Amino acid sequence: MTIDMSQFYQVFFEETAEHLAAMESLLLGLDVGAPDDESLNAIFRAAHSIKGSSGTFGFTDLADVTHVLENLLDRIRKHELPLRNDMVDAFLAAGDTLKALLSAHQGGDPVDAGTVGEVCAKLKALTSDAPAADAAAAMVPAPVSGQNAAVPPSAGKPCYEIEFVPTLEAAADHQVLPNLLQELSAFGEIDILAQPQPNAPGMWRLRLTTERPQDDFVDIIDFISEQDAWRVKPVAGPVEDAGGAYGLFDAPATESAEDAYGFFEPQVEAAAVTQAEEGDGFGFFEPLPDAAAPAPAAAAGGEEGDGFGFFEPLPVPAAESAPAVTESLAPPAPVSPDAPVVSVAPTAASPAAATPARDSRPKPPAAAGGEAASIRVSVERADQLINLVGELVITQAMLLQCATQMNDAAPEALINGLAQLERNTRGLQEAVMSIRMMPISFVFSRFPRVVRDLSSKLGKQVELKMTGETTELDKGLIERIADPLTHLIRNSLDHGVEMPEKRIAAGKSPTGTITLKAAHQGGNIVIEVGDDGAGLNRQRILAKARERGFQVSDQMPDQEVWALIFEAGFSTAEVVTDVSGRGVGMDVVRRNIQSMGGRIEIESMTGIGTRMTVRLPLTLAILDGMSVAVGEHTYILPLSYVIESLQPEHGDIKTLSNQGRVIQVRGEYLPVVSLQELFRVPGAETDFTRGILIVLDADGTKAALFVDALVGQHQVVIKSLEQNYRRVSGISGATIMGDGRVALILDVSALIESARSTQQAMAAAATA
Amino acid sequence: MEAVNQQNSATEEDQSSSEYLTFRLGEEEYAIDILKVQEIRGYESPTTIAYAPPFIKGVINLRGIIVPIVDLRIKFGLGTVEYTPFTVVIILNIAQRVIGIVVDSVSDVTSLTGGQIRQAPDFSASFDTKYILGLASIDKRMLIVTDIERLMSSRDMELIDEAAAN
Repeated sequence: MTIDMSQFYQVFFEETAEHLAAMESLLLGLDVGAPDDESLNAIFRAAHSIKGSSGTFGFTDLADVTHVLENLLDRIRKHELPLRNDMVDAFLAAGDTLKALLSAHQGGDPVDAGTVGEVCAKLKALTSDAPAADAAAAMVPAPVSGQNAAVPPSAGKPCYEIEFVPTLEAAADHQVLPNLLQELSAFGEIDILAQPQPNAPGMWRLRLTTERPQDDFVDIIDFISEQDAWRVKPVAGPVEDAGGAYGLFDAPATESAEDAYGFFEPQVEAAAVTQAEEGDGFGFFEPLPDAAAPAPAAAAGGEEGDGFGFFEPLPVPAAESAPAVTESLAPPAPVSPDAPVVSVAPTAASPAAATPARDSRPKPPAAAGGEAASIRVSVERADQLINLVGELVITQAMLLQCATQMNDAAPEALINGLAQLERNTRGLQEAVMSIRMMPISFVFSRFPRVVRDLSSKLGKQVELKMTGETTELDKGLIERIADPLTHLIRNSLDHGVEMPEKRIAAGKSPTGTITLKAAHQGGNIVIEVGDDGAGLNRQRILAKARERGFQVSDQMPDQEVWALIFEAGFSTAEVVTDVSGRGVGMDVVRRNIQSMGGRIEIESMTGIGTRMTVRLPLTLAILDGMSVAVGEHTYILPLSYVIESLQPEHGDIKTLSNQGRVIQVRGEYLPVVSLQELFRVPGAETDFTRGILIVLDADGTKAALFVDALVGQHQVVIKSLEQNYRRVSGISGATIMGDGRVALILDVSALIESARSTQQAMAAAATA
Repeated sequence: MEAVNQQNSATEEDQSSSEYLTFRLGEEEYAIDILKVQEIRGYESPTTIAYAPPFIKGVINLRGIIVPIVDLRIKFGLGTVEYTPFTVVIILNIAQRVIGIVVDSVSDVTSLTGGQIRQAPDFSASFDTKYILGLASIDKRMLIVTDIERLMSSRDMELIDEAAAN
């Protein structure tokens, strides 16, 4: 074990978190009365994977908890024990404990050992309390082998997985590879997991179980393989188990391999690769297994395919494709041994061996290669790509502008080429942006748990309906939307949905419904959180607002009344609970959403329910903007704030105490903000009738912005002004226009706010 | 060089030399550590920013990065502030930021040893002496060796948000 495992920790943390999330969502989806075998298996596999990789990485505390969890799960999935609600609760509690342990390893707060012990004790009690009797007897081996797997790697012989592609010369020489195998077998037991066609180039995968240090044998492999064309991975924990299970035929397989095929070679062993490595490894080896697969395919056929398929679940938690995953997961265990065994030795032995293997470790963290359905790429790298494409778009726009200026002088080929370039860059930009896109299910998946826990705590019956989970949005937004959404859902549960008695009295079903919907709408993503509860209480909100000293009147439109709940310190809850009612929250929700460039709206009807609608831009990197000219400058207005534009006539604009200006638009008096005055732009239009007014709406507050002219509408790549400079009030960022110049993006909320404060100052001055 | 050094015992530090880029502001000649200099380019009219002090001319697009441009001539009240095709911008890379400064002209690259740099006399608390590392003379020229990083990240330059500046 000379490889420094710590370099893989991050991947381990990520994957374990994914497995835990998958496990939780599966648990929540279980029908306790008639649990679905596929789901049970998938839960078991998730637990098993966590145990395996925890063991491999030496996080024994995680492995211990998972081990107990796994034992109980195993009995349930074998129908030795009926699934009960308290078990699901215990599983969820165990999942939480594992999460806590995980975050402790990541540098979080240490976990109370008592809690861990409690959870384990509970699980153990549940495991043993049922009719463990007869049926169980036959199955006993499974948990036992599970225990073996949990033993830290040091307990067994170290096991290594070796992958390599021989050099062409080595592959062509009939002697080299057999010699290599022979040499390696001197070190310990060898399993051949995959091998290419005789004499053809391709990848070999071997598993070597040996007590010798890795350094002893890597040289041999290096000798017949190009630098970088081989790798040795220590395998531990469950792998050990694998080694044990397959140990049976290790020797025969290897020997017969040598006898039967002269071309067998070098090898080393493979066994379980840690999950962590899979991600990386796969990308790397991906093409190879494809090439190698046809060879064993003759014998192992379809199974081989399944075997490779089992890497898919890596990034996509088993949760989502439970059936598919199950299919591909279960067979793999036998597959890796099978492939070599089948092609080399009589198959008679393999089914026998394969069966126990299947039982004890349905998802061996083993084997290599495979069509990795996804690759892990750091966000940095993806962002770098996005930036570069942004540059490309700008350059393309510049070229186009040059060509346009040449008018007829531009050769046709150039014009055509540029048109082609424009199409290609647009396609490239879309493709690159989609890298950052993730389905919103990453956020939604946590809510069933939130609703389940909270509703039982509050004694309410609530059903959560989710639609549009596959709607994609930018990863950055996904991370930031989770908290506000959680808050909205908790709010709906606590304040929206009534107690069952109340609901029955109101003639509704005792079970309330919370709907969570996501959909694309134009360039936005719209997320709705709705409930069929009591609705907002207008009178109570108004009373509360007066109490807090807000300026309100009974004539206020509903929309404005509802907006009051977003004010800081506003809560109409009668009782402050630990769920909500403290009045911190809704203002934070709104602020978070606004900081993402989004907005939130409320609709509510007494007795029918409440619906909160969050609108977010699809991405933070690109903005649909309208460019406006002021003097010699161009500014960008985010299109989402623009309602209409109009050219005022003489006398349309009135003054208030000779300072503030207002204009009446569709019956509303809107403050007029002059951009050139605000930004002190020289040489701009001052005559209102010769410029244009743009009506803007930010969170229900409207204002008319006076500019010289509208220039156009385009997508702009948002650049940070703060990176090299500082925050400027009224400016949210910068972008680069087609001519290479910088244009500033206006911060509409701040502009309207400034218009408002000037007005208020004037109003105050007028009354004084 | 030894002649210049005669008063200081020639320590190792004095002997080791670094490269400095020298530029002119009016009649004065300044030297800055060349490692802080990213590139030198011609002046292009920047996009002005509202509420910025007069010496911050605005921002330009430097290959996709938004870079603020500071006119040191205005800041220090030196030289004639006019923008011609020969006006030079030195792009600096300091404190993880990219900042452009406008100067009258770039003279050359000189290497100075620690011993060549003398302490500047203390001129009360006038603005710029805080950022002067020392004075160096080459031939008849006096170079003002400036700690450009400290100068640019100082509060006086208003380039960095208060919160970000320490």
